[in-house]
Amino acid sequence: MATDLRISNISKIYPGCIANDNVSLQFKSGKIYALLGENGAGKSTLVKILSGVISPDNGEVFLNEKNLKLSSPLDAKKNKIGMVFQHFNLFDTLSVFENLNIDATEDNKSLRLRINEILKKYNFSIDLDVPVLNLSAGQKQKVEIIRCLLRSPKVLIMDEPTSVLTEQETEELFISLKKFCDEGILIIYITHKLKEVLSLCDEVAVMRKGKVVSVSQTQNEKVETLANKMVGQKLAKIRKKINISKNKDEIFKVKHLNFYSDDPFETNLVNLNFSVKKGECLGIAGISGNGQNELFQILSGEIITPNTSIIFRNKEIAKLNPKQRREYLMAFSPEDRISQAAVPELKIYENVALNNFKSSNFFEKGLVNERKIKEHSKKILSDFSVNTDNVELKSQFLSGGNLQKLILGRELITAPELLICYNPTWGLDVGAINYIHETLIKINDQEKSTILISTDTEELLKLSDRIAVIYKGKLSKIMPSEEVTPEKLGVLMGGGSID
Amino acid sequence: MIKIEKRNDVPMALYFFTPFIAIVLTILGGGIIFYILGFNPIEALKFYFITPISNLYGFSELLLKATPLCLIAIGLSFCFKSNNWNIGAEGQLTFGAIVGGGVALLFYNQEGFYILPLVILAGAIGGMIFALIPAVLKTYFNTNEILVSLMLVYVSKLLLDYLVVGPWSNPEGFNFPETRQFSESSRMPLLFEGLRIHAGIFLALAAVMLSWFILYKTYLGFQIKVSGLSLKTAKYAGFKGKTMILVVFMISGACAGLAGVGEITGPIGQLHRMISPDYGFTAIIVAFLGRLNPFGIIFASLVVALTYLGAETAQIFLQIPKYTGQVFQGMILFFLLASDYLLFFKVKILSLKKNELRH
Repeated sequence: MATDLRISNISKIYPGCIANDNVSLQFKSGKIYALLGENGAGKSTLVKILSGVISPDNGEVFLNEKNLKLSSPLDAKKNKIGMVFQHFNLFDTLSVFENLNIDATEDNKSLRLRINEILKKYNFSIDLDVPVLNLSAGQKQKVEIIRCLLRSPKVLIMDEPTSVLTEQETEELFISLKKFCDEGILIIYITHKLKEVLSLCDEVAVMRKGKVVSVSQTQNEKVETLANKMVGQKLAKIRKKINISKNKDEIFKVKHLNFYSDDPFETNLVNLNFSVKKGECLGIAGISGNGQNELFQILSGEIITPNTSIIFRNKEIAKLNPKQRREYLMAFSPEDRISQAAVPELKIYENVALNNFKSSNFFEKGLVNERKIKEHSKKILSDFSVNTDNVELKSQFLSGGNLQKLILGRELITAPELLICYNPTWGLDVGAINYIHETLIKINDQEKSTILISTDTEELLKLSDRIAVIYKGKLSKIMPSEEVTPEKLGVLMGGGSID
Repeated sequence: MIKIEKRNDVPMALYFFTPFIAIVLTILGGGIIFYILGFNPIEALKFYFITPISNLYGFSELLLKATPLCLIAIGLSFCFKSNNWNIGAEGQLTFGAIVGGGVALLFYNQEGFYILPLVILAGAIGGMIFALIPAVLKTYFNTNEILVSLMLVYVSKLLLDYLVVGPWSNPEGFNFPETRQFSESSRMPLLFEGLRIHAGIFLALAAVMLSWFILYKTYLGFQIKVSGLSLKTAKYAGFKGKTMILVVFMISGACAGLAGVGEITGPIGQLHRMISPDYGFTAIIVAFLGRLNPFGIIFASLVVALTYLGAETAQIFLQIPKYTGQVFQGMILFFLLASDYLLFFKVKILSLKKNELRH
């Protein structure tokens, strides 16, 4: 029997963010559907609503014209909606069979029989009696899939399934998914990887900022068209005066930056080499999750990688921690402004003291000089027009824009020679964005340099002198930004190549 | 349907008030237990909480028991504030007592003003070294400090056992598992004739003042605070995380060692098997009941010390085992955690009607 899943006017609002804004979509069995979008676009929220993990503020879900009340994951199971999450829900120390047996309703013997049937039918090779911790990521995923198949699902939702898989495992997964599809299971495939959409899916819905911005047949799409839909295609109107000059000194130079992680949710970085000139802004574009986090942490000194060379103002700094790098006049503004760049429970002046550079005298002989820190904080609040002058206020009471101003102010008041920032305007309103963009342009005007890691193409085109794209931990060649178009960036961000 | 939400703003005043709520609830809970056991609850609670401190001797005993609890809890607050879960203070206390006691035994037949300071110093160093074991394993081998520090408690207790029955046992002691008596010069001076309260209380008070200064007025204190709230931020700010772990464990171990040495040079006067009624574990409750605040810890140590005394009085007058003291300590922690939960989260009961309307 054909399956028809319809989502109608789904909305979900979290404090300060609209995760799903009136989303309506229709799916029919026999096809593989892609739900594409950047991190934070609202895909996961939608999927959680479909699987009953959270309930929507508004809107309805219909399966074969029956209005579903999905108020718990159990309801989703009952209605034959299966879900494989990005992070596995398996007990590592139990065997595969025990894991599958946990919520089974039949006796061991017939369950084993049915599992073996599935294994045979789809050519899965998994030993049912080994503990799950001995399995590879791909095999664990298969266990999750088997768990869904045991309930003969009508709908199977896969959330970012390939983020932990090898190329080989990904291929195997695609073959299985196509088989399921042929058998009439409706498949919804959540991803931010464009190539996968093109090679696997029949239809693609693109989400951005909580809204569905396009629904189309994948055969009519290319990597770059999808990338542009995903990140937004508005062309940069204001563009800073390009500040590129061949004979300027290189102030910052990175050689042989390699990073290997055991954590499958981190991205490995492969031989990154780049340099930044005095007064220049180097933009690093990319869809989030392609190694930007790791790159930022290595540049700031939170992660020290062996055999990397980082020269800053003619000194080797690759082995220094963030505090020591600050002494050499570097400054950092991380993506996570709420819980990394500042501590919400701390007062404003205490958050200012986090950037404790030598000449600040915040801590003389190991003692807190509260008066000095407060004076300094007052100056930041007024110089960077934060909308309070109360340094005793806890920073959790600042709005996103004001918090970011405070953080940038804290980092910039030391007059650093190089500022490294990662998504500095993420989630801010237009006024705050403009203020921060102006500030970043001003730094370059004062002959100080910036590295701007951002997932916002518009911002990059507006602020950068040269741009490179990071994709799967590799850096493209660095291009002067006047030669870069959003289309070119789109191709590179999707893993394509340009000449 | 029940929904649990995080509260956005928790008033600080309430945060320091909930320990009192927990204490009141503990007393009520205790009353109920006594009632179920067939005692008159008012009477029993009076034996528990009033009788023990109704005379000067009792009050001195209260301070005597509060002293080690306060010292250990002060040390633990450094660890807990910075997200290091040292729960092996009992072991650090024991090892401090072994090292300090060892020095005292060296001088068992000598007198001199320098002996007591040496013994105290040895105890602090002993505790510090013992606390360094889980700290070093955590920083360099990524082990879990909870497990290591806990297991080391049993190591030190067995070592003490071995010493007092073996090499250090009193040659004139008829094979009792205890060492020689320490000489007068190794004993903490008593504050009042006829009472057991001794100079160790000044060590505890000094520790309170010093810890307040370190935690609130120094760079180290600032780093501890930030690391406790967000390790990510501490890393971003470039704090030397490993050094800090070692330092907080050393402070914590030294305090526990001091508490151990205070017991053996104070009321006990020798080493034997039972030098501590689990002060090291109970101090964890004291640290949290005192909100990891130095002055809060003074208050909390007095309250918890009273449960020790009350248990002893109740054993004498009501013939119930003194382990009821642990029941009360457990209840304090339980009610504290429960009120904290309600402080930080609000429980919303959504009526069915509203639920139906939504669908």
